[in-house]
Amino acid sequence: MKRLVMVVLVALAAMGVAFASGQGEGEYPRGALDFVAPGGAGGGWDLTIRTTARVLAESGLVNAPMPVRNNPGAGGSVHLASLQEKPEADDIITVYSPPLILTQLAGTSEFGYEDVTPLARLIADYAVFVVKDDSPYRTMTDVMEALQADIKGVKIGGNSSAGSMDHLQFLIMAKAAGITDLREIDYVSFDEGGSAMVMGGHIDIFSTGLSEVRGLIESGDLRALAQSAPHRVGEGIVGAIPTAMEQGIDATFVNWRGLFGPPAMPEYAVQFWRETLASMVETPEWEEARRTNGWDDAYMDGPEFNEFLSQVDQEYRGILSEIGMLAN
Amino acid sequence: METLTFLFEGLSIAIQPLNLMWVTIGGILGTLIGMLPGLGPATGVAVLLPMTFVLGPQASLITMAGVYYGAMYGGSRSSILINTPGAGAAVAATFDGYPMTLKGRAEAALAISAIASFIGGIIATIIMIAVALPVARFALHFGPAEYFMLFVFALSATASMSKGDTIKGFIATVLGLMISSIGIDGQSGVKRFTFGVLELEAGIDFLVVIIAVYALGEVFKSFRGIAEGTKKAQTKFGRIWITREDWRRSMWPILRSAPFGFFIGALPGAGGTMAALLSYSNERQLSKHPEEFGEGAIEGVAAPESANNAASVGAMIPMLTLGIPGSGTTAVMMGALLMLGLQPGPMLFQQQSTIVWTLIASMFFGNIILAFVNIPMAGALVRVLAVPPKILYPIVMGLAFVGTFAISYSLVDFYLLIIFGIVGFFMAKAQIPTTPLILAVIVGNSMEQSFRRAYTIADGDLGIFFGSPLAITLFVLTALSIFGPMVANAVRARRAVQAA
Repeated sequence: MKRLVMVVLVALAAMGVAFASGQGEGEYPRGALDFVAPGGAGGGWDLTIRTTARVLAESGLVNAPMPVRNNPGAGGSVHLASLQEKPEADDIITVYSPPLILTQLAGTSEFGYEDVTPLARLIADYAVFVVKDDSPYRTMTDVMEALQADIKGVKIGGNSSAGSMDHLQFLIMAKAAGITDLREIDYVSFDEGGSAMVMGGHIDIFSTGLSEVRGLIESGDLRALAQSAPHRVGEGIVGAIPTAMEQGIDATFVNWRGLFGPPAMPEYAVQFWRETLASMVETPEWEEARRTNGWDDAYMDGPEFNEFLSQVDQEYRGILSEIGMLAN
Repeated sequence: METLTFLFEGLSIAIQPLNLMWVTIGGILGTLIGMLPGLGPATGVAVLLPMTFVLGPQASLITMAGVYYGAMYGGSRSSILINTPGAGAAVAATFDGYPMTLKGRAEAALAISAIASFIGGIIATIIMIAVALPVARFALHFGPAEYFMLFVFALSATASMSKGDTIKGFIATVLGLMISSIGIDGQSGVKRFTFGVLELEAGIDFLVVIIAVYALGEVFKSFRGIAEGTKKAQTKFGRIWITREDWRRSMWPILRSAPFGFFIGALPGAGGTMAALLSYSNERQLSKHPEEFGEGAIEGVAAPESANNAASVGAMIPMLTLGIPGSGTTAVMMGALLMLGLQPGPMLFQQQSTIVWTLIASMFFGNIILAFVNIPMAGALVRVLAVPPKILYPIVMGLAFVGTFAISYSLVDFYLLIIFGIVGFFMAKAQIPTTPLILAVIVGNSMEQSFRRAYTIADGDLGIFFGSPLAITLFVLTALSIFGPMVANAVRARRAVQAA
């Protein structure tokens, strides 16, 4: 009888030790993680974080459950604000892209890239500037010359609101091409139907992301004048789109996407994700997912990513203040 | 001819038991989601999104499409029974559906809405097979100026068909336009009337306004009747079917509204709500007895139900053929396609013809299955009316809050819900129609943005609004919608005088 009690006690003690070590930093992540897309289902952020969660699970890098939650609102600012309420959470992983910086510069959000912890930059998508198949503009230089001659003569359309990504990426090109009165360029914001507008001939040039118009470029309905990548990206017809730099416009625009934690994420969690994501980008599953989605590899480790963010922040600031849209 | 080959190939795949099962699951899920205020097809499709990795493109597309048109079947159930549209596109079903219920004809209203949805869906699918590509190309002629004129037409048609007082209809429209101006202005990036509330920056979701005005408004309105015990539950129920006379009156409105709804649905950004409301106003103008509209005319249920289901089929055209999502639901579906590595666009029909044609073929089976499922389901649903009002209405109130939360998980929406519920109550008191308000909230922002887009494109020349045959046609229709009823009334009054 005594013996049995001893056995039970020892067993309990052993379990206790095991349990305690389960609480330790070595065993992170404990329990389910909270993956958040700060936008709606089916959008770019949503696709990125869902794909990441799937690759992490399939490759066995993370064994904890990684359900994806959507917390949309105000261009991601709603989620950004809610992250500030749990600054030290170690289980919230979220995705952002240039709007993280732009919403703050435009005054939509009081928070910005300094209020999250960059874990890794993962992928990039690039801007592409497209015209209707029978447009007189053959190159990006044609467009810039037309703007020099008559600043109101070319109507630029995009799907984001004024001062946001689609607008900004065109202005970066225009600035590099030597156009000085950026403020006078007419930008027309569409909610989602911009590609129909350029196909219907209602606007002259459509500034958008490559993934949004790939199908229409491949079918020949739209002609791409330039992509904003530093090097040609993509295969087939898409790969044949010249970069702006090749056309003498010395500028690039990267629509990066990366993962972030809350502002004061504990060091062990930051360490875990930096290492895990570094291994993830090397897996064949990730390469396959990137190829399927047409994403360019843009991996950058946390600290380096932070450096990059402060650079683009400066660049965006400059452009927005030139067009009088900088909030502060 | 080639089309037929593809179609038969699609039919042969869609009829496989597994695919039939998916379409049935999607359709029933959609019907259930559609019935609940706040939860619409976009939510239903989003819920399915994680499953696409498991199901593969074929099955997930079939299921998602099933959810989409299933929601059109379901949305009108709650419109008819408790005067609370389950989704935006079901608003029009309240106009005559609920009066029919009050007259004890809920069974006929439920039956005709299922029948009309079925016929509308089938006709739209046939049109899609025949003219998907030309329709998509034609829709490109709609530039900002044409969209603006279209929205003006929709608003004026809805405002002027308001029961009784046209002026009150326009007052409601203006109120709706004011609400729609809240949020970030796309053309300038300026925040308007947000008072520092982050959640208001994306504007006020029209679903919140619909739930508030209809569900809460209905609860407030019934409160007195419930307190005094004069509002009684229904005890006897008939068969879910329609009379020969009902069919005679509904047949042409159903047949006319299907192609119409299909086309409106195919215009990116126009959508099922507009299709349903415009077809309602059409039928009212064409009818020999317009005074019965709003009092429980069966064709007032049939026409919008046919139109909104046809619109849900039409809405897939810009997504499939051009890669342009025309509605919230198709935007999520497009996300699903992209996740699976399929590129929606003109090449999809060529590169992935089997997937596309199976999807189209599945819509035939889906609509047939849904018609069969919905009629017996209506027999069960109609018994909601047997629930004593003092139990039913608190449940409606609870559903309103749950549905509102489901829209964007935002607590701010609760305040808006209550505010607009009170607004809706006083509008009813003052006999100001609520539909123009709803439509104005839905299209107001797009209308304003379209105007300003056109204005920028034309360098401030207003001539752009009359610059194309399409724009002029829409202008003429707008004028007719405002002055037509006035002239008709004058003529009628004159005849009456002469007859006397």
